[in-house]
Amino acid sequence: MDWDTQIKRRGRFRIRRSDLGVIALALLASVPVGVFAQSSGARNAGSTANTPDRPAAATPIPDYYQVSLQAYVKMKAEAHGGTQYRRDSYGKMPDWSGLWSRDLSRGLQFDTKQSGNGFSVPLGPITADLTPRYKAAFQQKLREVASGNEWDQLSDCLPAGYPRWLTEPFLREFIVTPEETWWINEQQSEARRIYTDGRGHVPEDTAHGLWDGDSIGFWDNQTLVVHTIRVIHGEYQRSQPDYSYQTSTVERIHMVDHDTIADEVTVWDPKGLRTPWHVVMQYKRVTDAGARIDMWSCEGNNNVIRTASGSSQFILPGESVTVTRSYKDPDTFYLTNTQKKLFAQDEAEDIAKQGGKK
Amino acid sequence: MSIRTFKSHAKARTAAAAIGIVLLMQLGTATAHHSAAMFDHSKTITLHGTVKNFQFTNPHSWLIVMVTRTDGEPVEWGFEAEGPSTLLHAGILPKSFRPGDKVTVVANPMRDGRPAGALISVVTADGSVYRTGPGAPPARRAPVSKE
Repeated sequence: MDWDTQIKRRGRFRIRRSDLGVIALALLASVPVGVFAQSSGARNAGSTANTPDRPAAATPIPDYYQVSLQAYVKMKAEAHGGTQYRRDSYGKMPDWSGLWSRDLSRGLQFDTKQSGNGFSVPLGPITADLTPRYKAAFQQKLREVASGNEWDQLSDCLPAGYPRWLTEPFLREFIVTPEETWWINEQQSEARRIYTDGRGHVPEDTAHGLWDGDSIGFWDNQTLVVHTIRVIHGEYQRSQPDYSYQTSTVERIHMVDHDTIADEVTVWDPKGLRTPWHVVMQYKRVTDAGARIDMWSCEGNNNVIRTASGSSQFILPGESVTVTRSYKDPDTFYLTNTQKKLFAQDEAEDIAKQGGKK
Repeated sequence: MSIRTFKSHAKARTAAAAIGIVLLMQLGTATAHHSAAMFDHSKTITLHGTVKNFQFTNPHSWLIVMVTRTDGEPVEWGFEAEGPSTLLHAGILPKSFRPGDKVTVVANPMRDGRPAGALISVVTADGSVYRTGPGAPPARRAPVSKE
């Protein structure tokens, strides 16, 4: 039975399939806008957030994110569901305007409890409780660095990716609205979007690894609490350990004083960490007259190449080198050999757990 | 190529000595975008030359300087520094170093001996001192002369 026949049997009037689109549009136009708004939470008139396609708050996410999710949910319950800001109460939201930059006085590392700064004082032992595989990979990385072989995916003009993103220097900016907060770093013009409009995480069927992850959050008075999942595996920073795609975090971002914003970060990574890793990043207000964030073009002056031994090297003015360029596998081309091995083991572990199915 | 092969003069030596005290805090100039493995941070070099151009851009700025070897041959040296926002914070402006300016440069050299380095500081002919790197103090510019 075709469409035309079905419709014909239900009434006296014959409706052609070609008319259905027009009818659907007419029906859609007759539905009050408020119906959509109510389906995903009350909104102020004039809001520009994309209301109809927000994932439901309770959207299921994989098991390996559950522990961090429960920590986040508990914080939200303790905050009585979170402070509800709206357009008309925007003035009560924290004022994080201006420019900020990571406090580099103690170095560039992710491990804020690690001794040394990596500049004038060598870094001490890492304080993260790494799993044996990730610990072995980290030790191998340090040996390679010591022998002069170090590669950074930034040299491929790729983003730092979260959570490494938290460690990067340069200018930062917060754009705070009731529905979402953008946290921008000028490096690679890389921006995190933290949704505070009540949405849940991206559903499993459409989710995929994201450089800066999938972040949702709520306000606990003046503190932004954030849950982030679905990152792409990478390193916490050069000379720091690696993290897996199963990494998730809970952050509490708040202003310490007029010139300092702190981000208390707890990291869970079933593959890379035996216990959660807690660090506190600090960002200082930038007061340079006229400072502003501009578009950052990584290829604007990038003459770094990877040598055959896996190290970083320059092509200097007047030099010409022949670079053998092969197919760049998007999942692996920027990784070091140690990382390729480590993350391949992660995948093999998953396949074994699923009875050999990929 | 050793620094000893390059010309030096008394004024530049004095300038280099004046900024030497901060060198220990200037290691690791290249804080982002790439590994600093190509630089030898245990060594510093001091060179005197003429600015060819100053590439004030991301992800890194480069100061290109023509340096004359003791045998009279000019050599093009490249010195890497941070991007614009970090340099501006240190008081280094797009036109701080103009083509033709005489400069004294302190840098961490390349491990492989090629003519490049991680920029630590620059002293211009008028005595202005510019420093880069994490925690670098603001530039100390020479008083502007009345013209």
